[in-house]
Amino acid sequence: MKIIEKLKSVLLQSFLWIYFVVSLYPLMYMLFFSLKNNEEIFFTNPLGLPNPIRFGNYLNAVTSFDILKFFRNSTIVAIFSIIFIVIFSLMFSYAVARMTWRFRETAKKYMLLGLFIPMQVIMIPLAVLVKQLGFANSHLALIIPYIAFNLSFSSLIFYAFLRTIPIEMEESAFLDGATIYRSFLQIIVPLIKPALATVTIFSFLNVWNEYTMALILVRNQELKTLPIGLLSFAGQFSTEWGPMGAAMILASIPMIIVYLIMGEQIENALTIGGAVKG
Amino acid sequence: MQYSMHSILSNKKAAFIFAFPALAVFSFIVIYPLFSTLFMSLYEWDGILPGKFIFLDNFKEMFKDDILYRSLLNGLIFAVLQTVIQLGLATLFALTMLRKNLYGRNILRKVYFVPVVLSVTVVCQLWLSMYNPSYGLFNKIFEIFGLTYRQDWLSSMGVASIIAVTITCSWQYMGYQFALIYAGAKSIPEHYFEAAKIDGATSLQTHLKVTIPLLAETYRITAIFAFVGGLNAFGHISIMTRGGPGTATYTLTYFMYRAAFRLDQYGYGCAVAVLLVLQSIFVTLLINRLIAHERITY
Repeated sequence: MKIIEKLKSVLLQSFLWIYFVVSLYPLMYMLFFSLKNNEEIFFTNPLGLPNPIRFGNYLNAVTSFDILKFFRNSTIVAIFSIIFIVIFSLMFSYAVARMTWRFRETAKKYMLLGLFIPMQVIMIPLAVLVKQLGFANSHLALIIPYIAFNLSFSSLIFYAFLRTIPIEMEESAFLDGATIYRSFLQIIVPLIKPALATVTIFSFLNVWNEYTMALILVRNQELKTLPIGLLSFAGQFSTEWGPMGAAMILASIPMIIVYLIMGEQIENALTIGGAVKG
Repeated sequence: MQYSMHSILSNKKAAFIFAFPALAVFSFIVIYPLFSTLFMSLYEWDGILPGKFIFLDNFKEMFKDDILYRSLLNGLIFAVLQTVIQLGLATLFALTMLRKNLYGRNILRKVYFVPVVLSVTVVCQLWLSMYNPSYGLFNKIFEIFGLTYRQDWLSSMGVASIIAVTITCSWQYMGYQFALIYAGAKSIPEHYFEAAKIDGATSLQTHLKVTIPLLAETYRITAIFAFVGGLNAFGHISIMTRGGPGTATYTLTYFMYRAAFRLDQYGYGCAVAVLLVLQSIFVTLLINRLIAHERITY
């Protein structure tokens, strides 16, 4: 029986490694062809390591294609979105978790609705709204919707976390005569760091790679974020795979580095989300 | 003067200041457009000239449109395929990974998750390269093995094209579903497995009768992500096929997008959006009904 057990174990583990290859090889393929020229990709050496290694493709990608511009736009949008997502949702969660006011329960459920509304449903009126308010084709056109889309989830995370902080923490501050604002800033804010990490990571992932709204709300080439900017590049270089691959790799490097450093926290953030949402 | 805790926490002005920004932005950007969609669906509007109230005519038109039915079919295919692939494989991998003497667990988990953090543009462009009929990876592999079989992966007018896009999307988010299921499985207390072992169950029986039922909550979430995500698919379609060839890979969202932003039919697009949200609600309620109708506590 031991042999059968061993065989079963090997078989199951081989599935895991097969999928490892399925997950990884396409990325390797992309990395390789970013360093080859067309002839090599198409005919002589489609699957293997590049020979010679053509870093020129990367130079080509950066100079003939303003990838830094798209990076800059994505960064600006991400930073401002995350700042306000955190501030607004933390303040809101605090009001709902700690304070007593008439519409507290209603407000909580109201904000939770956001989790169930698919973004596609509000796509059209939102585009119209942004145009009518005059900030279409600007960074604001993305920042404000991104804030709105992420408030529900972030509030949920902060709310769940705040509930684990004992009220005694603020009680002593109040007894010392602190106002609620001071108590919030000096006591609560330092304590919510773990939840802050979760919210920041989740929001960053949602905002940096967001495609649909960015596609619709920003048509100005100068202001496009990375996912949309890359699209235009792909069109331009559809016959030269090398530079296109280089651009794709360049675009992915930041996220991959972030992931390699903070991978564990990212996975925690996303799976807490899954657990809490249930 | 000392204030009581209660009076400090009932400070209405403070509550307002704290809660207002989030509520305002949320209401304005999410809730108001939600009602706008409903409202706009009853009008015929090109986005510039004043709209014309046509009540349910958009809906009547929609149900006569062949593209709608193609979109619904594609959405269903996408949803079912994605759910089966993601939940099926993720379960297989997660449960296998629970084994004690496993080698390389950390690197496996990391690599599975990498596609999730990539931009959809990069993933789609990569798979477009692989699917390329003349030079792409897949057909090259056939060539290397000396086969004359080739597949024109994304040019089928039938369902092959939407299946190809679904595989791309499933590949990208498999790591996420895996992480959710694995996290759920790891949180099952050890004594369940011990009890099953004492009762003489094989690992297969254990997983079928103990692990999977206990994962019901997790499956509920992952099923909703996969299925509703499939029904509402847009990004991958828009980059890889633009709904083509012809209208072969239209999904409901793409249909809606084209109506509003390509054909300037904002009212009609909103009618499709209404159908989309009804579909999502229906499926979510259905999945909730079918899975985990009782709260599971350990």
